[in-house]
Amino acid sequence: MHSEWVSKINAAVSGANAEHVAAGEFGDDTVFVAPEKILDVCKFLYSAEGLEFNVLQVITGCDYQDRIEVSYILASFINNLELILKVKLPKASKDATPEIESVCSVWKAANFQERECYDMVGVIFKNHPDLRRLLCPQDWEGWPLRKDYQVQKEYAGMEVYPAHKINTADIYFGEKLKSSAADPKKFSYSWKKPEFYPEGAQPTTETTTEGE
Amino acid sequence: MEATPTNHTQYREEKLTFGKWLWNIWKGMSTALKGMGITFKYVYGVKPVTIEYPEVREELPANSRHRLYNDVQNCISCYQCATACPVDCIYIAAERRDKDAPPLKTDGGQAIKLDLHQYTIDTALCCYCGLCTTVCPTECLTHTTDYEFASYTLDQMKYDYMTPELKQWRDRIVK
Amino acid sequence: MADTNLETKWIGDGADLEKIKSDLLTLNMGPQHPATHGVLRVEIQTDSEIVATARPHLGYLHRCMEKHSENLEFRQVIPYVDRMDYLAAMNMEHGYCLTVEKMLDVEIPRRAEYIRVMVAELQRVASHLMFFGVYAIDLGAFSPFLYAFQDREQILRIFEELSGARLLYNYIWIGGVWNDMTDDHLRRIGALVDDIEEKMKKYHALVGENHIFVGRTSNVGIMDKDYCYQYGGTGAVLRGAGVDWDLRKKRPYSIYEEFDFDVPVGEGTKGTLGDAWDRYWVRVREINESIKIIRQCLEGIEEGPIMGKVKKILKLPEGEVYMRTECPRGELGYHLISDGGKTPYRLKVKSSCFTHTSMLPEVAEGQMIADFVATIGSIDIVLGEVDR
Repeated sequence: MHSEWVSKINAAVSGANAEHVAAGEFGDDTVFVAPEKILDVCKFLYSAEGLEFNVLQVITGCDYQDRIEVSYILASFINNLELILKVKLPKASKDATPEIESVCSVWKAANFQERECYDMVGVIFKNHPDLRRLLCPQDWEGWPLRKDYQVQKEYAGMEVYPAHKINTADIYFGEKLKSSAADPKKFSYSWKKPEFYPEGAQPTTETTTEGE
Repeated sequence: MEATPTNHTQYREEKLTFGKWLWNIWKGMSTALKGMGITFKYVYGVKPVTIEYPEVREELPANSRHRLYNDVQNCISCYQCATACPVDCIYIAAERRDKDAPPLKTDGGQAIKLDLHQYTIDTALCCYCGLCTTVCPTECLTHTTDYEFASYTLDQMKYDYMTPELKQWRDRIVK
Repeated sequence: MADTNLETKWIGDGADLEKIKSDLLTLNMGPQHPATHGVLRVEIQTDSEIVATARPHLGYLHRCMEKHSENLEFRQVIPYVDRMDYLAAMNMEHGYCLTVEKMLDVEIPRRAEYIRVMVAELQRVASHLMFFGVYAIDLGAFSPFLYAFQDREQILRIFEELSGARLLYNYIWIGGVWNDMTDDHLRRIGALVDDIEEKMKKYHALVGENHIFVGRTSNVGIMDKDYCYQYGGTGAVLRGAGVDWDLRKKRPYSIYEEFDFDVPVGEGTKGTLGDAWDRYWVRVREINESIKIIRQCLEGIEEGPIMGKVKKILKLPEGEVYMRTECPRGELGYHLISDGGKTPYRLKVKSSCFTHTSMLPEVAEGQMIADFVATIGSIDIVLGEVDR
């Protein structure tokens, strides 16, 4: 079914370079197209005979080392079909924001979906009517759903993860025990220090407080 | 219904006769009595669906998931609960027992090979999902049906199960 | 959508509109507004009582659920998906577990499938009862809320005995369900659905046919078929527009194809097709359809195990999957990308409430403010699912 659609797309839109990626043993098939032609492909899929993908379900991005893959999940409520359409956007550097044409003119649902994708993964949609952050505040920094995302140190004058608010007494109890014992090999503890903890979070000397 | 909202309040013009006047009085009184009857039925006749909370407490089902309790005597420090916890709120530290130390056993008969030094749960972080209790091999970590444990500071929400106070709490509240 | 003649309709033909027109007033509805069902903030510009523009501001309940799930094992994600739509947590879990199981070679025992369908349908009844009560409160009637909660409480009580929690269950697990249902539970569910079916007739007569209720909801917030398709509206919004579309019928998942039930669609009984009353009426009839399914489950439930054979350390093969399920508020989709590890590489949730929120600005234009409240209530959004 997918390979048939791919040949239809390639015949209708020149330069779309549609490519069918079959799923493994489990999972769903996907179709990759060239990012420059995404608007034409979407317009074609919206109105093509026998396909008529009239509902846009999701626009979402997934971050990889060198690229961002944007998925357009389309559904046809007329012919009861489903298609995962993907484009590969190469990422020049770590914080680069790749650009792609907006599909708001085809489906109005793309408006909010593209805003969320911009907010979370940092893909800029050209010709979008109102490209602002949606879930995060307008002055937020960085793209939260990228794999190398670091939370900003300070937001609106407030320190993020202030050292004095972190429960250090319990977390470092095991380390303290290990360092003070005669045979450190015998000791084990369940807690590892997460990467996002600030430098200032040092083991405190006070013991844990009891409940009640 | 039409689209316009105009015809909701249209009154018919009627001439008031003596018979109608009497009928109106009778109708007014009888409907008032009928309404009062329903009211009194609910005052005296119908069982209330609510309970008077601080005096009357609802009996919770036995497997309700509320405050966690760890019976540290039976804990073998296997770290499975800490691994299963999605919010990382369980802190355990343990020391391997000497080989010549007297052997310890849990109530279920499993050998305890590690001495528990710390077993703390940050209840303020706990999401009561129940994943930690299902993986526990000795079933020492359980959810109790105690749901009243509000406290004034966040520090008070950290329960160190090694302390005797918590044992007393368990004996007092959970039968 | 917008009725352009509203001004003349409410002010009268004779009035000089230019003279009484005032400047636009910016008004913040929410985030702590009782009619916005949580923390939705809508910035509306009003021309006296008429909404000129409406801009929803989301994110007040954003908890980075998608980012969290990238660092959690597949089983540990279930408590997080519970917290998206906290009024229909069973359906959220069901969808997520089906997504993961689609990537796994695992056979779900028949008994577990029956229990899953049963709790999902009970949850749908509970969720629609909640809609019924809260919508009545939005429109100014208080007592239907108490009636609805009284019945919903009985469903939650059964869930509490099954799973141990009232709202956030963590009950449906990958491969099956957590606890087994006893015969006592089955008997009580049977009695409960009989009770609710009987009571719903009374409740609908009390609210749905009420003159004020009909006046407040008919011809309000009309979302027709094309509008729903353009914005991707699903669930009761799409069915209220007269489209016979239910995933349980069209793309059956779990064991829904074995059951016999109807899909209620809006007919424009009290006004225009696709208005707020139609959406209300679709949901009320859906309660009866869910009860039909529950009855068939009670008859057909089989003895047997409740957990399939799933490895203790769960690893999904490389690939991606998209799974849609029909939730009380519309279609819920999970887009899961796996790189062969113990955690999802990317988990995207397609939430129907998010889609329905994006439908608000266009439908709000030209509405009265009070009608806008009726529109927000009728699409039945839960902000936990909008912001995730």
